[in-house]
Amino acid sequence: MTTRFISYTQNLQILSFFRDMFYHLGKTFSRFSTEGKIGICGVSLIILIAVFAPLLSGYPPEKITGKSLEPPSAAHLLGTDELGMDIWAQICYGARMSIFIGLAVACIAGLGGGALGILAGYLGGAADQLLMRTVDVLMALPSFPLLVVISAFMGPSIANVIVILVFFSWAKPARISRSQTLSIKSNTYITAARNFGAGPCYLVRRHILPEVLPILFVLIISITSYAIIAETGLAFLGLGDPTSKSWGMMLHYATGFRSIYFTPFWQWWLLPPLFALIFLLLCLAFISRDLEQVLDPRLRKNGGA
Amino acid sequence: MAVLEIRDLKCHYTTEKSVVKAVEGISLTVGHGEIIGVVGESGSGKTTLALSIMRILPESARVSGTIHYNGTDLSSLPEQEMDRVRWKDIAIVFQNGLEVLNPVLTVGNQVIEPLLKHSSVPEKEAEIRCRELFRLVGLDPAWMNTYPHQLSGGMRQRVLLAMALSCNPKLLILDEVTSALDAFTRKEIRELLAGLQKTYGYSMIVISHDISFVSSLASRLIVLYSGRIVEAGPTLDILNSPRHPYTRGLVHATPDIFIYKDLWGIPGESPAGETHEGCPFSRRCTQSLDICRNTSPVLQSCGDGREIACHRGGIAILLKAEGLRYHYTLPDRKILPAVDGVDLEVCEGEVLAIVGQTGSGKSTLAHLLAGILPPDNGDVGFREGKVHGGNNGHRFGGIQIVFQDPFSSTSSRFTVKDAVREPLDVNGIGKPDERLGLVKEALELVRLPSKDQFLEKYCGELSGGQRQRVALARAIVMKPKLLIADEITSALDVSTAANVLRLLKGLQNRRGFAMIYISHDLTLTLKIADRIAVMNQGKIVETGNAHDVMLTPCEEYTKRLVGSRIGLCCHTHDGNDPGKSGGFSLESGSGPEGELT
Amino acid sequence: MNEKDRHAIIFRFVLTLLVILALNFFLPRMMPGDPFSTTSSDVQGEDIVVMTEEQREYYISYYGLDRPLPEQFLVYLSNLVQGDLGQSIYYKMPVIQVILLHLPWTILIVLCATALSTVAGVLLGTLSARNRKHGSDRLMMTGLIGFAEIPSFLLGLIILLIFGVYLRLFPLAGAVTPFAHYTSVLDQAGDIAYHAFLPVLTLSLAQLTGVYLLTRNTLITVSTKDYIRTARAKGLGEKTVWTRHALRNALLPVVTRTGFMIGMLMGGAILVESVFSYPGIGSTLRSAVVGRDYPLIQGILLVVAVSILLCNLIVDRVYARLDPRAAD
Repeated sequence: MTTRFISYTQNLQILSFFRDMFYHLGKTFSRFSTEGKIGICGVSLIILIAVFAPLLSGYPPEKITGKSLEPPSAAHLLGTDELGMDIWAQICYGARMSIFIGLAVACIAGLGGGALGILAGYLGGAADQLLMRTVDVLMALPSFPLLVVISAFMGPSIANVIVILVFFSWAKPARISRSQTLSIKSNTYITAARNFGAGPCYLVRRHILPEVLPILFVLIISITSYAIIAETGLAFLGLGDPTSKSWGMMLHYATGFRSIYFTPFWQWWLLPPLFALIFLLLCLAFISRDLEQVLDPRLRKNGGA
Repeated sequence: MAVLEIRDLKCHYTTEKSVVKAVEGISLTVGHGEIIGVVGESGSGKTTLALSIMRILPESARVSGTIHYNGTDLSSLPEQEMDRVRWKDIAIVFQNGLEVLNPVLTVGNQVIEPLLKHSSVPEKEAEIRCRELFRLVGLDPAWMNTYPHQLSGGMRQRVLLAMALSCNPKLLILDEVTSALDAFTRKEIRELLAGLQKTYGYSMIVISHDISFVSSLASRLIVLYSGRIVEAGPTLDILNSPRHPYTRGLVHATPDIFIYKDLWGIPGESPAGETHEGCPFSRRCTQSLDICRNTSPVLQSCGDGREIACHRGGIAILLKAEGLRYHYTLPDRKILPAVDGVDLEVCEGEVLAIVGQTGSGKSTLAHLLAGILPPDNGDVGFREGKVHGGNNGHRFGGIQIVFQDPFSSTSSRFTVKDAVREPLDVNGIGKPDERLGLVKEALELVRLPSKDQFLEKYCGELSGGQRQRVALARAIVMKPKLLIADEITSALDVSTAANVLRLLKGLQNRRGFAMIYISHDLTLTLKIADRIAVMNQGKIVETGNAHDVMLTPCEEYTKRLVGSRIGLCCHTHDGNDPGKSGGFSLESGSGPEGELT
Repeated sequence: MNEKDRHAIIFRFVLTLLVILALNFFLPRMMPGDPFSTTSSDVQGEDIVVMTEEQREYYISYYGLDRPLPEQFLVYLSNLVQGDLGQSIYYKMPVIQVILLHLPWTILIVLCATALSTVAGVLLGTLSARNRKHGSDRLMMTGLIGFAEIPSFLLGLIILLIFGVYLRLFPLAGAVTPFAHYTSVLDQAGDIAYHAFLPVLTLSLAQLTGVYLLTRNTLITVSTKDYIRTARAKGLGEKTVWTRHALRNALLPVVTRTGFMIGMLMGGAILVESVFSYPGIGSTLRSAVVGRDYPLIQGILLVVAVSILLCNLIVDRVYARLDPRAAD
């Protein structure tokens, strides 16, 4: 009897937890402006497409499933490319690639860079100076040319692309979180807390993180955009992983096709990845513009250039 | 003809949410070579006034009313015509801020700029003139080629002044020119301005919240509150005897003016641009009537060049005694005139101190004023009726008196509760639990515990200071309009006396009742009194503003009384004549300092 | 800026330069395998590059691959100082020559795009700031913000598809019509402009929003400043107030931005030139990368990086001259 009773209350707790979470999510959602809401819906749509790609597309993207350069039809929603691979399938699977790379780079660079920034800001002294010099130099480097050259030398693979992109993106979150940490540290409530015996872990957890994390989230969205753009650019130039079906790679193959502009093939081979990319980037931009003021109306942007 | 004549100026800022009425019907006149001062707190509309004269208000402002400059109506001029008037005829010296000068142009350039625009002098000449101006305001012309951020605050203020003078305007408006400056620079600027007016005859409008600065320059003072003029008149008169409760509060809150008196603010907050019908000060006023809340008072003249906007004509007279006489008959048939022809007035919210030696008749006078003794001759009027035979002690809003000896003013056998509740019991005011509530409130006001444990104590168990406070509470519980304190601290030790006095003055400030404070201790009265009446042998020998009487006594007796104070160290206690040259001078030589402040 | 800041900026410049040089030096040497074995490219549609024995020996001696590492670096540096950037594998001429052949085209479109976007951005921004409350302002803002978020090469693709492919108004590739005979300089200039139009348009659009927003927001901030009120009170007239006082202050950040823009555009030119097959330094880099033409890659990278750094340095100095507050 008792076990049934306990699991009943546990069920209630789980239900109410979810109910609260949805309630909070719903409330946060409603605080976005119209563009923000469109952005969130758009990104969610693309994520859904990416996750359910096998279900949505009839064919696997890397197998030849039709004649080459077929126009859109009932069998192939967006037609086929030069090799006869279904384009709609490529779009669906390509969504996975773009989202994965974007989020991976953003999370690693954002959280990693943020952690380094907090560390440097908190410790000060030589560690801080070292970080700042590094960040300064990194931000002064012309990123895209270097990106191109390094990826050319390192060889095409998703892991390489992610590593290179992280290398170029961690500087900004580090700098911003460092300056936030410094300005928080200068408040006298930190001195008071230290006086009470608070240790570094407590200070970081209780005072610094709550202020820095919202800014980092906004940055993560913008790094996602940057990573998607950079990966697409690299793929477009031919430096991406040829086996990955990212949208940039699709653009590369399409524009590499000799007579792409003199034939009608561009209409279903070139346009879909193009529009998909623009749609995703615009949605991300809408979200990031709103995110700042939704997360904290008093947010102040410090640091940076 | 006046240089500037403003009639019924109104200025409203319209935003999406609300309308802020910054200026509500101001009229003023500036004559040739005259300096008038405009005083008020922030939000009173001073800066809006300045900007509207120059017509450089932001777009969201709606202005109505007329502004006549030398006969021309400025408010109807087209923009280009107005540009010709700006700076050439009327110039404004802004408050010095970090960005009031363009950071990318040299200061010399900015001073010359209006000169080149408004007159046809060639550049070389303009530069020479700029040097002259710099020298005039006390700056080395070498600073002409520097940028604003390279100068200190005081120097920037002088640059602004030089810039304003560049086209030789007829009217100079100075908007808070000393608020960001230290005391030395403030004084220098003041000397500079006074000198300019004397030598060149500029007319000036000096706007500031700093009354001491304004009054050191201006011959006429205008007091603004919430966009309206509440009082206007000659500077010295206004400071010495303010007629409007707000002006009185301002004077009390400014440490520079009467340096021996303690600082007290005006209870309540200044309205932040809210609109209300009725007098804007009514919520903080201690003598407001119903009409004050409904209708806005109009500025009216009340003689001697003074104007006031108050339904009650300014601070109203609460108590008026005329020709009071009282005598005691001694056992040997001799007649002792205790009070010999006394005329006295007490205004609302005022503290009048009656000082004199023992035996001068002070206490008798107090009893007469309270209506306890019937006068032989003469009358005491309180509000509408007469004091004697009236029931002023029987009701709320009347007269109450606190006596000197705490041990006899409260019965040892009464509990605290009963003692304080007595007047309520006697007059049957309120239901029993209401009475208890009033008693507790009164005890809290005098900082005594209001718990039952204390209420049940007998007065005989309390100390002198506590008993005096109980007596005070007993008087306060009747919410008097006039409290007569008859030497209430002479029987207490120094520290207790200080506490009781501060308590009393705090109550008086907050509740706004008038007080007659009787004492033989001169120094103490300086701290709290607005006016002092010196009494000797039944007669009032001198009355006047507390500081005047103390520092510049006229009568012989007063002089002797003042001179009889034993100072602690080497100060001399002779006062100085405040300058009579159209301004109330504060730097009145060496005033005694130190232990008295 | 004071001495300390000036030194810091030069120090950072030198440090960044060293990092680029080091990267340039070490990258090919970190490659898996021997970079100079016969290369074959499995990328679609590109030529296969094969090296002769002669070339191999040249490269080994040029790079000093048979000598110890520090010596290689010195050799590298001394080559740089002499202006010898090596020999391009694909083009079979000195790298310097290849670069000089293609660099002018990039400079042309970058400078034109910078000028165009700055002028248009400032004009639109000023208009927007003056008419802040009207509908035209909000319309412009929402429209232009959309442009900012789309990356330049995607924008370029769209423009190419609309104007080049669909409407057939502009050419699809090249900087000049091949095998053209020109009757006059004007004729030649017209042909160049005709080919450069779309790339310039793309690059300008990508930067336009940034300049527009910056001008608009700075102007709005400046117009609320006290010194604008002072200028008005001096009766100087609206025109003088706006130009001499407001714009003079508001354009300072725009100047900085223009300088940095040149740097950003040089980086973005790589992709845009590829889209339009425009024979600038970007296209050259792409084909060099695809063909693994290492000397050329390194040469281009060096030139591009150095010019961007120089631009930034110049911007810093120019700003110091314009804003007296920074000079102290």
